[in-house]
Amino acid sequence: MAVKNRMLLVLMSLVLMAAPLASCGTPTPEVVERQVVVTQIVQETVIVEGTPVMVEVTKVVEVEKQVVVTPTSLPARDVIIVGLSAAPVTLDPADHRTRNSETVIRNMFDGLVTRDQVSGVHLELAESLEWLDEQTLEVKLRQGVLFHDGVAMTADDVVFTFERIINENMIEYPEVHSSPRKGLIAPLESIDKIDDYTVKMNFSAPWPPAIQMLVHQQIVPKHYLEEVGTKGFIEHPIGTGPFKFLSATGLEQIVLERFDDYWGGAPDLEPVGPPCVRQVVFRVIPEASTRVAALLAGEVDIIQALPAELADTLAKTPGVQVGTAAGTQPKWMEMNVNQPPFDDVRVRQAMNYAVDKDLIVEAIYGGRAAALAGPLSPYNNYINTSLVPYPYDTEKALALLAEAGWIDTNSDGILDKDGISLAFTMDTLEEFRSLAEAVANQLRALGVDVGVRFWEYSVVKPMLDANERMAYLDDWGDSAFDPVGHFEAKWHGRVTGQTYGRGNFSGYNNARVNELTKLGEITPDPVVRQLIYDEAQQIVYDEAPAIFLIIPDETEAARADIVNWGPAADSRINLHDVCVAAQ
Amino acid sequence: MRAVKILERVLITIPIMFGVAVVVFFFMRLTPGDPVDIMMGQAGAVSTGEIEQLRREFDLDKPLYMQLWLFLTKAVQGDLGYSYTQKRPVNELIFDRLPATIELAGGALFFSLVIAIPIGIISAVRQKSLVDQFSMAGAFLGTSMPSFWLGIILILLFAVRLGWLPVQGRITYGINLEYVTGFYVLDSLLGRNWPALVSSVKHLVLPSVSLGASVAAIVARVLRSSMVEILRQDYVTLARAKGNREFLVVMKHALRNALIPTVTVVGLQVGSLLGGNMIVESVFSWPGLGRLVVKAIFERDFPLVQGAVMIYAFTFVIANLIVDVLYTYLNPKITL
Repeated sequence: MAVKNRMLLVLMSLVLMAAPLASCGTPTPEVVERQVVVTQIVQETVIVEGTPVMVEVTKVVEVEKQVVVTPTSLPARDVIIVGLSAAPVTLDPADHRTRNSETVIRNMFDGLVTRDQVSGVHLELAESLEWLDEQTLEVKLRQGVLFHDGVAMTADDVVFTFERIINENMIEYPEVHSSPRKGLIAPLESIDKIDDYTVKMNFSAPWPPAIQMLVHQQIVPKHYLEEVGTKGFIEHPIGTGPFKFLSATGLEQIVLERFDDYWGGAPDLEPVGPPCVRQVVFRVIPEASTRVAALLAGEVDIIQALPAELADTLAKTPGVQVGTAAGTQPKWMEMNVNQPPFDDVRVRQAMNYAVDKDLIVEAIYGGRAAALAGPLSPYNNYINTSLVPYPYDTEKALALLAEAGWIDTNSDGILDKDGISLAFTMDTLEEFRSLAEAVANQLRALGVDVGVRFWEYSVVKPMLDANERMAYLDDWGDSAFDPVGHFEAKWHGRVTGQTYGRGNFSGYNNARVNELTKLGEITPDPVVRQLIYDEAQQIVYDEAPAIFLIIPDETEAARADIVNWGPAADSRINLHDVCVAAQ
Repeated sequence: MRAVKILERVLITIPIMFGVAVVVFFFMRLTPGDPVDIMMGQAGAVSTGEIEQLRREFDLDKPLYMQLWLFLTKAVQGDLGYSYTQKRPVNELIFDRLPATIELAGGALFFSLVIAIPIGIISAVRQKSLVDQFSMAGAFLGTSMPSFWLGIILILLFAVRLGWLPVQGRITYGINLEYVTGFYVLDSLLGRNWPALVSSVKHLVLPSVSLGASVAAIVARVLRSSMVEILRQDYVTLARAKGNREFLVVMKHALRNALIPTVTVVGLQVGSLLGGNMIVESVFSWPGLGRLVVKAIFERDFPLVQGAVMIYAFTFVIANLIVDVLYTYLNPKITL
């Protein structure tokens, strides 16, 4: 009796079932082998009694079989939809300057290095990085990494990628122009291919934040770009990332699909391997309340940029989880140090003592923020740990103001000096309304007549550049966690025609701080750098050109069954790791 | 004769468009704020060299009259330049978004007319009745409710609480639809794709209601008052005296005349439906032109704003032309 078996079918379905589980990070499936009884469809040929005819019948039988089982079942869904707060401007890694473009791009492209959810940098396409001297970085590339079209990534692609960024007029569509990302790697002078898997990067000067800044450059395929040009590339981008491009509707909806031949991702960032989900969809939902509604209605799985006032409510809502990560956008109220009353350091210090930052963190941000202890974010890799935020101490503030001559002589509730009231206008942007009004109220309680004026950034900026305004509340983003960004832009004196002090709206200009800023930029030794920045932070803290306010966390939300997910400080949404919990 | 007149009116749009182009060009440049400044943002080092290069790239280093000349000579050839921020041709960006905007405006118009015309007629015929008072109070509410507020309330009620309708977007993810015209409802009909039709119509409902509510209110009030006026006319009394059924008197004799002011109002509203829907587009994350333009204004993306405003002006002029042509059908005594 011949038996024709359909084992193949059963095996295939078992394999298919196991595949997504194996690639799914959390919950980590505990793999055990055991004997089970499975139902199997078998076909056998029987000879019907009494007749010479052979009939083929199909019947279901139970057999014992050795299988690999996991305590979890299939992921409930294999498509993840992400609600973005703004559309990316392009999918070309070399042609944008926005965070949301990078958020999407980094799921399709890999960099030489990547960052974890906080500030740690990990090797990605680079197998090793070695400083040959203070200005030369040797990069050994990982072998066996494939682009989405199956072509292997080599040193040629890396050289091409960086030359496309640092050289002029390398992007030809829609009109010839240079990459706007050059400024993010400005000290890189040239890049040479040593062999197929080694390149050498030559910097114009020692540049300590180099490795942190490399996170923001992704490798593109030379052969493909040369073949299809920039226009063809942005219509159908190809990278080495965990997901490949499937389609885009404008850039309002971008659909990516799992790249099954993905090399795995940074080896020291678990999980390693192809992504868990089959497809990811980025959808632009600009209105925060709509994003939240879409999450509640189950239309999206993850939402970006959750407003502080909605975070608490959502955190208490069943079926939804709220996650936070260290923020990268500290907020200050800068004071014009070249005009009275803020030309007196005692007045500026008094302003710092007069603001209750803990109250602001609790009341406005629901605890999802941290008070600033000086000019840098507490998450900076070179924070001066001996500094603490200015305590809330109105008595001390009043004493300092009195010392500077500001006393309420006419009992009208406003401090005055030589017949002039202590009054100023705080300029800010609409997005900082609640913070600005809280600060203004606390200063008013002290006896300072503060008005708040809301501007559009592009309108107020020329006035700030000219140091014409009294006080300005704003933030300054920097996701490199290195002091260079903030010290160069905010606390170094303004230098016309240079990048120094380009975001310095207080007019603060201290020779020693300037010197330390420049020294910190070219000092590779971390111990020496720490000493340099400790001193610089101490000076700025004492001289208080700004009220050092707070830094809000990055807050995002997801449906409760989304696992292995969490916001990242640099706004990356790492969908490689994300999975959907089993039902 | 009518065709010649229509052609004449179409040709008049050319100088109008020219005027609009020049005005928008100067207004954008008079607004404080520098596109390059905004574009470079905060991150990373931006050298003056880079900034100058960008200004050269955008022709912002040239004198104003040169910039205007460059813009106009290109615009005549149908090239509206390319967006500073998105690095894509303005034409392409606009025509990507235009179908969504027109579909939403169409949905809103359809909703508002379906609601407003019966209400207007019934309130006029049953003047001062409970129905009249109730619907006019509703109309008052409709005009005074801000569309973003109405939108959010509708989302919370019908999408989040009841789950009947989707929160945002134009179609449910995963439904395959072949995009031919960019109008999803039309595309699903053309492809006889019923799941796509159901999904796109469902997505259209809440934004259309939010956008159309105020139009419905205005149209209902205008139609009511002109109907009230017309119903008092002698020829209506005559029509009744001839023994015509009341329904026929109202629908055939009175309504046709009462529609003239209504059509005028609707024509004007079409312009605001097309150009004034950026708020509703934001609330429902509807990928239309309005949102694109508002963003472009904030970013001082001159070419994109100029191009979009010209498109708005063009549709406005055409909408008015259609209204004028409709007049001649409603009342043959009116000529173009």
